[in-house]
Amino acid sequence: MSASAAMRQERERWEAQRRWARAGFAYLLLILFSLLFLGPLLFAALSSVKTDPLGYPPTLLSPQLAPANWAAAAKLGREGAKAPLWGGFAPGANVNVELTYFVPQGTEAAAPTATVPRRRPGGGLGAVQQIDYAADYAVVAPVVEVGRRAGVHGADAQAGEFVTYRVTVTYPGAGPKVDRLPLDVESASRAIEFVSSTLPPTRLERLGLVASFQAVTPGALGYLLGNYRRVFTEARSVTTGDSLFMRWTWNTFVYAFFRVVVTLFIATTAGYALARLRFPGRNLMFLLVLFAQMVPMQVLFISNYLVLRDGIWGLSSLWGQATLLNSLPGLLFVTALNAGPVFIMKQFFESIPREVEESAMMDGASYWSRFSRVVLPMARPALGALIILSFQGAWNDFFWPLVVLTTPEDIKTLPIGLLTFRNVYGNSGDWGLILAGAILSALPVIVLFIVFQRYFMEGVTYGGGKE
Amino acid sequence: MRARGREFLPALMFLLPFLLVLAVFFVYAGVRAVYFSFTDYDLFNAPQWVGLANYRALFSDDRFLTALRNSLLFAAIVTTFQTIGALLSASAVNRRVRGMTFFRSAFYMPAVTSSVVITLIFLWLFQRLGGINYLITAVSRNAPIILTFVIVMVLAQGLQVVVERWRLRRRLRGAGQQRTVSLLDPALLAVALVAAIIVTTALALLGYLAPREVQNVAINWLQTRQEVPASFPFWLRVPLPLAAIMFQNIFTTIPTYMLMFLAAMQDVPRSQYEAAALDGANSVQQFFYVTVPALQPVTFLVVTLGLIGTLQMFDQVAIFGSSVPLQSVITLAYFVYNRMFPGAQLPEVGFASAAAMFLALLTLIIVTLQRTVLRAEGER
Repeated sequence: MSASAAMRQERERWEAQRRWARAGFAYLLLILFSLLFLGPLLFAALSSVKTDPLGYPPTLLSPQLAPANWAAAAKLGREGAKAPLWGGFAPGANVNVELTYFVPQGTEAAAPTATVPRRRPGGGLGAVQQIDYAADYAVVAPVVEVGRRAGVHGADAQAGEFVTYRVTVTYPGAGPKVDRLPLDVESASRAIEFVSSTLPPTRLERLGLVASFQAVTPGALGYLLGNYRRVFTEARSVTTGDSLFMRWTWNTFVYAFFRVVVTLFIATTAGYALARLRFPGRNLMFLLVLFAQMVPMQVLFISNYLVLRDGIWGLSSLWGQATLLNSLPGLLFVTALNAGPVFIMKQFFESIPREVEESAMMDGASYWSRFSRVVLPMARPALGALIILSFQGAWNDFFWPLVVLTTPEDIKTLPIGLLTFRNVYGNSGDWGLILAGAILSALPVIVLFIVFQRYFMEGVTYGGGKE
Repeated sequence: MRARGREFLPALMFLLPFLLVLAVFFVYAGVRAVYFSFTDYDLFNAPQWVGLANYRALFSDDRFLTALRNSLLFAAIVTTFQTIGALLSASAVNRRVRGMTFFRSAFYMPAVTSSVVITLIFLWLFQRLGGINYLITAVSRNAPIILTFVIVMVLAQGLQVVVERWRLRRRLRGAGQQRTVSLLDPALLAVALVAAIIVTTALALLGYLAPREVQNVAINWLQTRQEVPASFPFWLRVPLPLAAIMFQNIFTTIPTYMLMFLAAMQDVPRSQYEAAALDGANSVQQFFYVTVPALQPVTFLVVTLGLIGTLQMFDQVAIFGSSVPLQSVITLAYFVYNRMFPGAQLPEVGFASAAAMFLALLTLIIVTLQRTVLRAEGER
C-alpha cells in the first residue's frame, strides 16, 4: 500500500516538474517569436534616431539614446537660442563646446581650429529651399585651453596628456534665427587624437582629423528626434512651401475618413438589401459581389484610370472638375468598389433575427426606417469593426493612390509620399529620414491597433473560421 | 411572389449606390479590359481591332516571359515556405498559457502597418552595409560558439533521456504504469539548456572557443542582375533582388497565417491527442496524424490566400523601384502597370490589357487546380 502511495507521490512530483518546465519553455518560445516578428520594426524604430542608420557595424543603441547627451544637447540648445528642447542659433548666442584631445608624450600640444562651415543640411527635397546659413552670422572666438591632465590612452596604453579646449561661437548683432549651427573642429596634427567632447560629433572626417557636428546646438529633443524633425521641415512643397509630410498626413486622414464614410454607407445599404429584401436577380447580384473580390486590380485599373481621366464621362465637370485624376474625389470613387465589407454586412444582418424587424413592420414602418431605426442600431459592433478596419485599409492603401495621385507632390497620401522619400533620399543613402518618416506614418495604425486589438484579431480568426 | 415584386423598388433604392459603382468600376471596366486586349490602343489614337495579336505577342516579349517566370517562382516558393513556416511556428507556440492574447497581438502588430513601411524597412536592411549582411556575418563569425552550444545541448539531452528511460523502466517494472520519457522532455531540456550555457561560457572564458576570423559579408542584394548561386537547387535560382522580396514576404506574412492556424489548432479537441498518446504516438506522430488532418480546411484557405497574394504581388516591386534593375524583380502585376505607364514611351493599353487578362486567368486556373488537388488529398 505505502509503496503505491509513494509511487503516486513520485509520479505527481514528476508531472509537476514537467508542468513548470513546459510553461517555462512556452514563454521562452513566445518571447523569442515576438522578438523575431517585431524585430525589424523595433530595430528600425531604434535606428531611426541615428544620424546614419547605415553605420557599420549596426548597433541597437546610439549616442542619441544616451540621457547624458540629452543633457549636453539641452545645455547647448539653451546657449544657442534659449531653446533647451529644439535648439537653434539665434542672435545673442554664446555657445561653448569643450573638446578633449590626447597629446602623446613628445608631441607639442596645439589648439585645434574651429570653423562654422556653410553646409546645407541633407540633400534631396530640401535642396530647393532658401535657407539661412549659420556661417553668415556666426563668429568663432579663438580656441582656448581650459584643462590638462596626464594619463594613458589607447589599447597600447600610450602615456601622454589629455588636453581640453573650449570653442566659443557667438552670434553678435541682429539677424534671423537659424535652425542649426554646424561646426567643424580640426585637430592641429594627426598625432593629436580627438577623445571626447561636450556632445559627441556627428562624425569624424578625414581619418579622425576633423570632428564634425551637423548641429552643435540641437536641444534635447532636437538631438534625439533630429531625423523626425527633418521629416517635417526638409521636404517642402515647391509651390506653397508647406511641409510635404504634414500635407501627406492630412491628406491621408481626409482620405481615410471619407473612405470610412463611403464604405459604411455602401456596405450597410447593399448588405441590408442582399440579406433581407427579395427581388429578382438577387442571387446573380450576390455572385457578382463574390466575383468582384477575386478579379485582380490590374484587370480593372486600365479602364478605371481612363474613366477617371475623363471625369466619369464628363459628370465631374458638373462640379467644376475636368478630370478626376489627381483628386481626392476620384480616389474615393474608384475605391468605393469594395465588395468585402458588403459581404461582411450581409452576413451580419442575416444573423439578426427577422422577428425583431417584423415587430417594427407591424407599425407600417417604411423600409428605410426599419433599416435605420431597427437594424442599424443593432449592428453597432459590426459597424465598429468595419470603421476600424476600413480606416486601417485606407491609411495603408498603396495601389490606387499610386495610380490616381501622381502630381503634384502636395496631393499625395503618406504611403506614396514615402515612396517619394525613398526616391529622393534613398539614392543618397540618407536613410535616417526615410526610417523616421516610415515609423511616423505607421504610428497612427499602431495606436489604433493597440486600442482596438479585439477587432483586428477577430478579423484574423474570422478569416480562419471561414470555409 | 407578391413580396418579391413589392420589394423590388426598395431593394433597388438600397442597392443603387453599390450598383452604380459596381456597374462603372467593375462590369464596364471588366468588359472594356477584355475589349482592349483585342485591340491596338495607345490612349491617343482610336483603338484598332487586332484579334489575338496581343496575346500572341505576349509570348514573344522577353520582359513578359521574365515577369511570368518571376511571378510563378515567387508564388510557388513564397506560398510553400509561408504555409510551412506558419504551420510550424503555430505548433511551436500552441500552448494554453496565460497572456496568450498579448503574444498574439505582438505577433500580429507588424501586419497592421502598410506594405510601404515594411518594404522600406527591409530595403534598408538589405543595403550592402545593412542589417541582413551583418546578421550573416555575425552568425558565420560565431559559428564555432553556436555549434558547440547546440552539440552540448543535444548530447546532454540524449544522455539524460537514455538514463531516465532506463531508470523509469526499472522503477515501474510490475507497477502497471505506463510512462515514458519523450525526446523533448521539457524538464530534461531545461537541464540540458543550463548545461549547454555553462559549458559554452566556460570554454569561451578559458579561451578554447573564440569567434572565427571572417570577412564582412557584403552581398549586393539590390543593384544586381545576379542570381542565387548555382549551389542552390534550380528551383531556388532567382535573381537576388527577387530573393530579397521573397524573404521579406515570407517573413511578414507568416504571423498572419500562423494566427489562423493557431485559432484552428485551439479548436482541435484535446481528446484526439489523448487518444493518439494512448496509442503510443509521440509528439511528431501526433503532429502528422492529428494536427495536420484537423487543420485541412485552414490550410486550404491559407494556400489559396497565399497564391492569390503572391501571384498578384505588386507593392514591393513598385517600392523597390529604381533601386533595383527592373528585370530582376518584375512580376506580371507590375508588368501590366509598367506597360500602361511606361514613362517616356506611348502606353500600350491593348498589350497591357492582354497581360492583365492572362494574369486573371492564371490566378483562376492555379487556385482552382490547388483546390482540386488539396481537396482530393483531404478525401483520401
